[in-house]
Amino acid sequence: MTSPTKRGGTGAVHRPRLSRAGRRRLAGVAMTTPALAMIMLFFFVPLVMMLWMSLHNWPLLGEHRFIGLRNYRDALHDTEFHTAVIFTVKYTLITTPVLFVLGLALALLVRRRHRGARFFQAVYFLPVVVGLASAAFLWLFMFQSDIGPAGDLADHLGLGSRATNWFAGSTSAMLVVISMVTWKVVGLQMLLLLTGLLSIPTDVEEAARIDGASRRQTFRHVVLPLLRPTLALVLVFSVAGSLLAFDQFYVMTGGGPSNSTITAVYEIYRTSFIRFQLGYGSALSALLMIVLAVVSAMQLLLLRSADH
Amino acid sequence: MRTRRTTAAGALLTSVVLLATACGGSDTASSRSDTSGSGSDTITMWARDTQKGFINLVADAWNKGHDTKVKVTLVPQANFVQKFGTAAASGSGPDVASIDLVFLPYFASTGVLDDITELENKLPYKDGLSAAHRRLATYNGRTYALPFTAEASVLFYNKDLFRKAGLDPDKPPKNYAEIISSAKKIRALGKDTYGYAIAGQCGGCNVFEFTPHIWASGGDVITADGKKALFDTPEVTDALTFYRKLYTDGSMPAQSKTDTGTNQPALFQSGKLGMTPLGAFFVQVLNKDDKVDFGVAPLPGKNGGSASFAGGDEIAVTKNAKNKAQAQEFVKWATGEQAQTVLADNGVVPVRTDLLDKIYIPLDPRYKVLAEAMEKGRTPYSTVENALFNDSNGPWVNMINRAVFDGDIAKAQEEGQKAAQTIIDDAP
Repeated sequence: MTSPTKRGGTGAVHRPRLSRAGRRRLAGVAMTTPALAMIMLFFFVPLVMMLWMSLHNWPLLGEHRFIGLRNYRDALHDTEFHTAVIFTVKYTLITTPVLFVLGLALALLVRRRHRGARFFQAVYFLPVVVGLASAAFLWLFMFQSDIGPAGDLADHLGLGSRATNWFAGSTSAMLVVISMVTWKVVGLQMLLLLTGLLSIPTDVEEAARIDGASRRQTFRHVVLPLLRPTLALVLVFSVAGSLLAFDQFYVMTGGGPSNSTITAVYEIYRTSFIRFQLGYGSALSALLMIVLAVVSAMQLLLLRSADH
Repeated sequence: MRTRRTTAAGALLTSVVLLATACGGSDTASSRSDTSGSGSDTITMWARDTQKGFINLVADAWNKGHDTKVKVTLVPQANFVQKFGTAAASGSGPDVASIDLVFLPYFASTGVLDDITELENKLPYKDGLSAAHRRLATYNGRTYALPFTAEASVLFYNKDLFRKAGLDPDKPPKNYAEIISSAKKIRALGKDTYGYAIAGQCGGCNVFEFTPHIWASGGDVITADGKKALFDTPEVTDALTFYRKLYTDGSMPAQSKTDTGTNQPALFQSGKLGMTPLGAFFVQVLNKDDKVDFGVAPLPGKNGGSASFAGGDEIAVTKNAKNKAQAQEFVKWATGEQAQTVLADNGVVPVRTDLLDKIYIPLDPRYKVLAEAMEKGRTPYSTVENALFNDSNGPWVNMINRAVFDGDIAKAQEEGQKAAQTIIDDAP
């Protein structure tokens, strides 16, 4: 309440200072404008367009017409989309803990300030810089029956034969994809968790030790709670990434066997670009976006409120 | 301090500009600049990257004799329909497009192609053009494209393996039972040798290679008007049972279930596969390899007979073509003897049945079977062909995959029929 008069007062006395503040503000606007413009152009404009399209019967070619919320009503009864959503949830529920536990374990391993730790940190991180599609093709080849080295290895270890088709069963196909994703993504999770771990002051842990806490107790009651903000970040990243999975399945399983590995985004792709129903595809995208927002918000809330 | 700030702002701005231009520099902008540069002396043309081997030779042949030049842009096969569809919808498409004939009813129905009925009627060799292509290019009685390249599905068989298995390499199998027994004998030759392979998770492959069996047995997969799916007919049951038997006999490799179309030809090229259904393009691939002694035979029905899928491309002038007169001239020329000879010389089946004996059949002893297969080739007519058949997760592939590899043929057919009919009924 008092600030306007106060500001006006100071302004009247120190005129040059205000103009400097004004200049600063102007510079701030100038600096943020490009970013804002990009967000407008590449996020908000497409978002509004998508929502607008989702209210239409909008084929790839030809006339579109307004149909209100019919696309959304159809989506609620779309069994193919339901199957895809259920598969996506299943995939997320398996991938997230695997990535998280492995990422944390690796972070704890490379946490020490040895030169060896640095080396392994780099090794674990390397797959992250490979593109997801390239990684998928690499693994697709490795697990190809008759020609892939994974079959050879399984043969030598007595785990299976060279002719085993890993992609022929829906469970084994999903497991191969999850292995690939783990190999590819766990390094990033490790790095994020590592920065979280390193930001915990060593004196806190030392104090706990001096108080007689065992290693496990220190980890559970000191390290984990202090790591919470990082955990929230990592979990939100990982869950969102899994819910949006597409490339790995498109490349490695092609949705097979018998359409058992079609994710939600895959189904949106098929709706839009194979059946050419852009309007309906937009509606499915909007629904997915809402789910994603809710899930992320819930995670952040849960992890924050658990603080007290 | 201030200089650093301005530098930072400048750097940011530069990066924004760079990013924007980089984004705009992708296909749409480049194609747009192509068309804008066309004015009067360029015809822009889009083709699939799988046509790379010959499409530029065709363009060169035209460019040599004409002032208006053709400029070809290759688009990846897997997303040609999407790219062409979006470009046509936004008015940034090419003047001419070479389109897989199965998509013609769809594109014609959406009004992105120019009506060239008059042009076709004036062609003296109109009736010599592939009948299947002409049928697919017709929508509501008008013509929207001319036949350009042809393709036919036939049975490839390895003559060496036939000899080793005690089969006559000059007498390829003529019905389901003969294929099954030959495949079994070839499979018995060794651990790594297989009798028959399919691409169980590839839409384009399965419409091309499996439907002929049904046609040859007197059935069909969709009614002539495209309004009703026929997935649950007895002829389809027989054909599925035939594939299923090949699988349960062990004649088919495990890969076939999830093959998206890459393993099947590779296995035949390696000389370890007895038989596989593929197209004319594969003759050239094998000839280049010069490793496998192979023969081609028509794809048979249950008790004999034969049929083939007429594939290939049609060539169309787009509605928004900047250079319509020249584009029409080029499209007409593409069906002429000069262009068709370039195709034949490069292993592509010409669409001119009146020229087959002259420019195609003499080139390879196996081309006669292919030419005959093309002449009686058929193609399902539907504006939703992509969603029904070519979609690798669509009802056609899904039905085949589940029936052949999981075994419940009746249920797979019933669900396939239901899914297919829904797609047809939901079509705009």
